[in-house]
Amino acid sequence: MTIQTTHSSNSPAAQQPAMPVENIIAIKDLSVKFEVAGGFVFGLKNVNVSVPRGQIIGIVGESGSGKSTLIYTLTQLMAENAVIDSGSADMDGEDLLAKTPRQMQQLLGQDIAMIFQDPMTSLNPVFSIEKQMTDIQYRLNLSYSEKKQRAIDALTRVGIPNPELRLPRFPHEFSGGQLQRICIAMALMAKPKLLIADEPTTALDASLEVQIIDLLKELQAEIGCSMIFVSHHLGVVGTLCDYTVVMYHGDVVEQGPTVDVFNNPQHAYTQRLLACDPARIKEPTKRLPTMSSEGTEHIAIPSGSYLASQLTEQNTHPENSAEHLLDIDELRIRFPIQSKLAALISGNKDPYLHAVKGVSLTLDAGETLAIVGESGSGKTTVAQAILGLNQPWSGKIHFQGKELLSMEAKARGKTRRDIAMMFQDPISSLSPRMKIADLITEPLVIHGLPFDSRAQEAKRLLGMVGLPLDFANRYPHQLSGGQARRVGVARALAQSPKLIVADEPTAGLDVSVQGEILNLLNQLQEDLNIAILIITHNLNIVRHVADRTLIMNMGDIVEQGETQGIFANPQHSYTKQLLAANVHPDPV
Amino acid sequence: MWLFLLKRSALAVLIVILAVTALYLMIHAIPGDPASIILGPRATDEMKAALYIKMGLDQPVYMQLLSFFGNILSGDLGYDVFSQRDVSDIVFEQLPWTLALIFCAIVWAALVGIPLGCYSAIYANTWFDTITGIISVGTIAIPSFVVAIYSLLIFSVTLHWLPAIGAGERGDVLSQLEHLILPAFAVGLGWVGYISRLVRSSMLEVLGSNHIRTAKAFGLPSRWITFRYALRLAILPTVTLLGVGIGYLLSASLFAEIVFARPGIGKLIFDAVSTRNYPVVMGAVLVTTALFVIATTLADFINALLDPRMRAKR
Amino acid sequence: MSELTQTSEQSIAAVAQVAKDNTVTHVLVDTFRRLIKKPLGLMGLILVSTIVLSALFASVIAPYDPIALDILNRLKPPSSEHWLGTDQLGRDTFSRVLYGGQIALQVALSSIALALGFGLLLGLLAGFGPRWLDNLILTLFDMVRSFPTIIFALAVVTLTGPSVSTIILVVVITSIPIYGRVVRTQTQALAQQEFILAERAMNASMPRILFRHMLPNVIGQLLILASMDIPIVITIEAGLSFLGLGIQPPTPSWGSIINDGYSFIRNTPWPIIAGGLPLIITTLGFTFLGESLRDIFDPKLRKDV
Repeated sequence: MTIQTTHSSNSPAAQQPAMPVENIIAIKDLSVKFEVAGGFVFGLKNVNVSVPRGQIIGIVGESGSGKSTLIYTLTQLMAENAVIDSGSADMDGEDLLAKTPRQMQQLLGQDIAMIFQDPMTSLNPVFSIEKQMTDIQYRLNLSYSEKKQRAIDALTRVGIPNPELRLPRFPHEFSGGQLQRICIAMALMAKPKLLIADEPTTALDASLEVQIIDLLKELQAEIGCSMIFVSHHLGVVGTLCDYTVVMYHGDVVEQGPTVDVFNNPQHAYTQRLLACDPARIKEPTKRLPTMSSEGTEHIAIPSGSYLASQLTEQNTHPENSAEHLLDIDELRIRFPIQSKLAALISGNKDPYLHAVKGVSLTLDAGETLAIVGESGSGKTTVAQAILGLNQPWSGKIHFQGKELLSMEAKARGKTRRDIAMMFQDPISSLSPRMKIADLITEPLVIHGLPFDSRAQEAKRLLGMVGLPLDFANRYPHQLSGGQARRVGVARALAQSPKLIVADEPTAGLDVSVQGEILNLLNQLQEDLNIAILIITHNLNIVRHVADRTLIMNMGDIVEQGETQGIFANPQHSYTKQLLAANVHPDPV
Repeated sequence: MWLFLLKRSALAVLIVILAVTALYLMIHAIPGDPASIILGPRATDEMKAALYIKMGLDQPVYMQLLSFFGNILSGDLGYDVFSQRDVSDIVFEQLPWTLALIFCAIVWAALVGIPLGCYSAIYANTWFDTITGIISVGTIAIPSFVVAIYSLLIFSVTLHWLPAIGAGERGDVLSQLEHLILPAFAVGLGWVGYISRLVRSSMLEVLGSNHIRTAKAFGLPSRWITFRYALRLAILPTVTLLGVGIGYLLSASLFAEIVFARPGIGKLIFDAVSTRNYPVVMGAVLVTTALFVIATTLADFINALLDPRMRAKR
Repeated sequence: MSELTQTSEQSIAAVAQVAKDNTVTHVLVDTFRRLIKKPLGLMGLILVSTIVLSALFASVIAPYDPIALDILNRLKPPSSEHWLGTDQLGRDTFSRVLYGGQIALQVALSSIALALGFGLLLGLLAGFGPRWLDNLILTLFDMVRSFPTIIFALAVVTLTGPSVSTIILVVVITSIPIYGRVVRTQTQALAQQEFILAERAMNASMPRILFRHMLPNVIGQLLILASMDIPIVITIEAGLSFLGLGIQPPTPSWGSIINDGYSFIRNTPWPIIAGGLPLIITTLGFTFLGESLRDIFDPKLRKDV
């Protein structure tokens, strides 16, 4: 039993089916192109994929690989400028692509059901869950109370507590995880032959991801349907899917049983993709493999730059070793959630959101500390407090021996010279109407540091982060995520800081680019003895880059220590839970 | 939600108070003796002195303002020395005419504009959309008083289809309706465009959103998706616009009332301005401002009823 | 493709997006090219340039003195001597229409420039200043907007008497809130953006953040708003002049030409037609232009991004 082979000149030899399995979907030679100004762009190129009945197939690929285009073409929900160039997609012998919109509508919600990426926006905000769940049963010849009962049963099945009470509620009254459960319940009610899930866990925290994956797996077995699971996350596909299809730039480069694809990848792209996934690298390393060699080479610091002068200074004046570079003591931060008057009226004695509840940590020069937590854990709030972007309620932050919070604004501004921050979103953290050259040299201007000319300094910085020099004249929106991230690093380096605070430095980047950025940070740390504070939810990268790790949950530190120790022997139950959620063992 | 509505109403009251104060101070900031300005050049000294006391001008400004607000609360908007009548009587006599005009204008504009906007969004980027787009933008652009005069010129003076001036015989509903057609057409025409453009753009936005994709993925009939799921959301900005629109419609109806020589609050203000009748100007502007603020607040309330997300707001 | 969903930063980089090269002239040329490709934009451009040019060269084109009386030739229909006929005092309507355009554009440009300036200032203050200032400015805006424009104008005219400066004053006061609100909302939205946080993290000074990073991202939208405001202002001027409370005779204005015609509507339709048409052409032209500009600069509406 296996899946059919692919096309493509550069794909490996086909794996021969050992025992043919009946396919519910057979996609043959499908090509889709998009109409854009001045021509066409290919979205899919001669794709051949089959979905065996009763099995789960996973489609993996990085952004732009065409994995979403594939499923939206199947269901005729693609963008308006998409044109099917050639090919067919048979479901039970009938070509889905040849169906009229009306015929397709008959199929959707009966034979085919879908679950989408972002549960928060996937339901209509002005209708109750009850209305939406009963509306989709419009084809059934049942009384309203029977439809309602079916909805309650489905919600009970997916684990929504008190479904009778929750049913009349509106989407904004549920959490993201609950909404995704509701979406699954809706799909479940249709009892489809084919369930299509488009990145259903991407918008969720890791621990929720595991629960949703388990739920999907259970339900698929229960209904006995086939499932197409689309994801950019190799690990998830490895745990869940029977078959794996790897896509790259609109091509299927590899497909086969998941065990084979993971253990014996044939195509070079699949091999690199597997090699680059930090989760799959057993031994911690500060040099992660990347798709290209670019970025892994050692970068020389150009002589004559401001940075080089700082470098020599740093070497001749070593830091006092008895004192930590950064020392945070019992930091507490709270945000008002009600106005004082409203709190007084409603009798709320504590109208605050306690984002950070007493966090203490230290960081030394040349060291990397990772703060790990899920959304809402308060990790970013801590980082922003160091930069003076919020007002802590109590506590102390010592930097180079000086207490920051009690400082005058002006004096505090000066300390900012030695601390640089990299923000979460690489592109939107760059001022959109400024050229890259102006952006990366701006810290020099702001802090009044000496430099020859902005153009020259920009060249040096671009060279350091491995970007071509002509990028100096580009604007932020002309960059890819990875390039923008490098610009962020360059800007952080311009002022030659002693500490870089990196908020989710790999968020939004494809696996292959993640390694490049982390390697760059690691190398610069070695060369310049910079301390790095990484704020992230991604445990897999922490294992490789952080010397010490600190786990936060709901504003509290639950565990901290040497990274190796925490991963090998977690003490706190929350840490264990987090680690478990992150482990995606290879398929066997 | 109740806190939000309470806040919204409090803000509305505050705005009306501020606006009235500003207006009051403005009127009292004009150089010269208010009494002689109000009474005009032919007034005798005794008349001025009597009015001076009557208006409380011998008291400090804040006392005047206080007693002015006190009077407003008791329904007293002042006294018109020209016609020897209470201003509130004059204003509330004219108000229904204007309200009827605005109501008719808004109803016909919404009845035409909303479907037009819906179909433009559904058939976006087709010739139908292009043509309705140009017509809509055109009707928004053309000043309503030009529409009023041109329609008077064409339909009354030249073609003699519809009556030119007045509001119709007293007690004759049919004749009154006949007299309402041209003014309502002129006042509402721009709003057809406004509404259709707004409905189109919000409809396009909603039709492209994730939850509409979900509805499609569950095979709901497309008419159902468009007119129940999408329109319900897309209509929200239009409700707000209609509330704010009352203000613009008040301006447009002023022109219509003058062009077609209809009674109404706009005509009242215009005539009072021409004769420099300050108490009437003041009273009428106060009432229209209050009307405008009430309309916008009401629109927010309706929005809160239609949108559960708003209800959760504090 | 479909996965490359548009990100929010693109909408902020809207204007920069048009600028493939960064010189101002290039942006202008590029915008012009895009404009003439759209039917609506081309129409707008033609209408606006007709009106602007005829107003600019009114003294050259106009066959008569716009205020010269000729009682013998009053209320004449169009002829080869008087292209648009004459009014009740025998003045040449065509010449009056040309000079009326001058007044309309003068009022529109000067009042919008003033409103834009004040609106920008107050909006930045409200958006970036302390909470109480924001609330205060917003309440003031709401107060001003609570008067229907024309009715507010009438109230002001009663006090100050009709004149050009009264019109400008009224327009400036009533449109400051429009600009101010947009600037405030934009500033507050931008203040939440990561790039402004990044500037603050770098210890950039307040003026630097406001003028180097916020202003360039707000100004494009403001200019589009201003271009769409021109027809509204021209309408207010014409409307007040029509009521006899704006531009005072004998100075020609489209509104007063219509007003003169209105009094003689049963004698001749020509002054009304002559005064209304340029008004319609101007408002249509500027509205078409503004709509197309918004289409060009709003990446959400652009198909070819």
